[in-house]
Amino acid sequence: MSIFEYNGSALVAMVGKNCFAIASDRRLGVQLQTIATDFRRIYKIHDKLYIGLSGLATDAQTLYQRLVFRHKLYQLREERDMKPETFASLVSALLYEKRFGPYFCQPVIAGLGDDNKPFICTMDSIGAKELAKDFVVAGTASESLYGACESMYKPDMEPEELFETISQALLASVDRDCLSGWGGHVLLVTPTEVQEKALKGRMD
Amino acid sequence: MKLDTSGLETFVPPSRGLNVLPSDFTASPAFDLPGCTDFDGFQKNAVQMVKPAKGTTTLAFIFKEGVIVAADSRASMGGYISSQTVKKIIEINPYMIGTMAGGAADCQFWHRNLGIKCRLHELANKRRISVTGASKLLANILYSYRGMGLSVGTMIAGWDETGPGLYYVDSEGGRLKGKRFSVGSGSPYAYAVLDSGYRFDLSIEEAAELARRAIYHATFRDGASGGVASVYYVGPDGWKKLSGDDVGELHYKYYPVVTSSVEQEMAEAPVA
Amino acid sequence: MAKALADVPPKGGFSFDLCRRNDMLVKKGIQLPGFRKTGTTIVGLIFEDGVILGADTRATEGPIVADKNCEKIHYMAPNIYCCGAGTAADTEAVTDMVSSQLQLHRYATGRESRVVTTLTLLKSHLFSYQGYVSAALVLGGVDVTGPHLHTVYPHGSTDTLPFATMGSGSLAAMAVFESKYKEGLSREEGIQLVSEAICSGIFNDLGSGSNVDVCVITKGKTDYLRNHQLPNPRTYVSSRGYSFAKGHTEVLSTKIIPLKAKPEVAVVDAMEE
Repeated sequence: MSIFEYNGSALVAMVGKNCFAIASDRRLGVQLQTIATDFRRIYKIHDKLYIGLSGLATDAQTLYQRLVFRHKLYQLREERDMKPETFASLVSALLYEKRFGPYFCQPVIAGLGDDNKPFICTMDSIGAKELAKDFVVAGTASESLYGACESMYKPDMEPEELFETISQALLASVDRDCLSGWGGHVLLVTPTEVQEKALKGRMD
Repeated sequence: MKLDTSGLETFVPPSRGLNVLPSDFTASPAFDLPGCTDFDGFQKNAVQMVKPAKGTTTLAFIFKEGVIVAADSRASMGGYISSQTVKKIIEINPYMIGTMAGGAADCQFWHRNLGIKCRLHELANKRRISVTGASKLLANILYSYRGMGLSVGTMIAGWDETGPGLYYVDSEGGRLKGKRFSVGSGSPYAYAVLDSGYRFDLSIEEAAELARRAIYHATFRDGASGGVASVYYVGPDGWKKLSGDDVGELHYKYYPVVTSSVEQEMAEAPVA
Repeated sequence: MAKALADVPPKGGFSFDLCRRNDMLVKKGIQLPGFRKTGTTIVGLIFEDGVILGADTRATEGPIVADKNCEKIHYMAPNIYCCGAGTAADTEAVTDMVSSQLQLHRYATGRESRVVTTLTLLKSHLFSYQGYVSAALVLGGVDVTGPHLHTVYPHGSTDTLPFATMGSGSLAAMAVFESKYKEGLSREEGIQLVSEAICSGIFNDLGSGSNVDVCVITKGKTDYLRNHQLPNPRTYVSSRGYSFAKGHTEVLSTKIIPLKAKPEVAVVDAMEE
């Protein structure tokens, strides 16, 4: 068994027109046993920056705490929020520091930059950045998500359509994965507001 | 989205004359032993090969009116769901059904083989085989291949001259008679519901509902179970399929959610 | 105690905190995840007035193409670039690290960086990690001593060559170079040959794919030709894609959080505070 399959997860982020969406499943399992169906994998760094952490939940939470700590230090020193690009480099550096004993986490970072330009990015567990223009995926359902996103994604979607697309891609993918699903969380971020939605999905 | 459940329908082949059987039909099937130098290693690999086809919830219990048999319908390979509409309750003959857990191919093949043997017994003895006898036929076959990599965990349920019958048979050679069984990765969850709700004097409707609930709860907790909860009833007149409910819908029937159509606007706290 | 300081921003270097735990997990029969690899065909050659580097743009994770258009030609200095093959995180980290050392060195000396300096920094880092930092590099640049092309292996050994290939597609690319390379190629001929070698990797090696990146370095000028060729355009998708009606997805709850507009920071003279 791969360590990524211990808790199970599905994560996806998509770029729209001046907005982005990041979505995850809601399951926390221990191998095949479902422990919780309201688990959060997407964490807020600041109003316009979110990080989703797939993989081993214990490492995800530890990593998140370290990231928040470092971001707060940055805020104190610089008196401003981090840019998504800068934050991605921070995450990458924290992960690569543990190159030979890694956190079992695959992060997905999504944020709005200075001029509200959306930014999405994913990494492997040792911090090899992958910057994408369209969508990024992670987790045990990543293979299904690649397929779903590859066919459903369109460039320059408006927020409403982006929400439908990312939700359908997520729900379709987790229905083919034993280890993720049980509903979904979607965060839709535009320059003026954040919409947080809980999706209805199959509970098996 | 609705599941395509056509795979769960009963398929009755058109009946033909009995004199079309090939001559070697009665010969008991046998696998040649593998022609390899490392037989132990072969066995180990064979077990490994069959292993991924696990992940199931099946259950059966005897009560006042007969036997209730129920199962989910998910087939998985590792974490991947290969089908949500697998028929895990196999109809052996009109009075007997078996459940499928473990290797799908092993279960299907040996249940069909058991069906043949039961029919031959019927032709030879002019009476239907007892559930006891049928389950023992299967157990004996499985025992003879013990340790060679077969993976079968099945319950044989039926109605014979002695009334309702229920046996658990597995590829380790075990055969148990009992009133209440559950097999598969979801069985702990199913047992919990079954044990807390079971009484001998349940009505058919109550019993079916108990089985359905047990399967539903198992699919909820077990990642490798899901799809459709099929419930069969075996009575004096043979088996009958009572229901097949998509557990995706069943969840929201048991636990209706109030979709907050009103979008809550969190007004921002006024800046001091 | 030292432990209390564990979470302050580190000074650098690797942390081996989780190694014991991860070893324990491996002993329990858990597989460690594979890392993202570049797969890769990377090449370089010396032409009449400089160096040309080339790379494909596929990144893989096991059998999955993780990135269809990644950048494998890394910046080291304005006159030096480096193609990376192997574990993506390692090539990225090692080139970033050395390029920042070079920048500091330039600040200190006020002179253009030399390719040999870069080469030494790279090989001494890789050698000290005994091949565990798995980066295979093709380093090219033009400095005061002329054009240089080197290959660096993960264990720290290096070669100095007129034409070089690395990565899983190196054999396919080298076949092209061996048959067609000659001294004193013109710029156009050089770019053409590099593209041909990369294409040979893209089409014949499963670990390489997508597009061709080229970087031409001449005395005083560097041209990074990102996606110089696009031999594998997407042709199979309907341009309209799928569309979903609004409200198609069933939503259990919605929370809308309005964001405040960024407060305009009045520019105050720093001395007044």
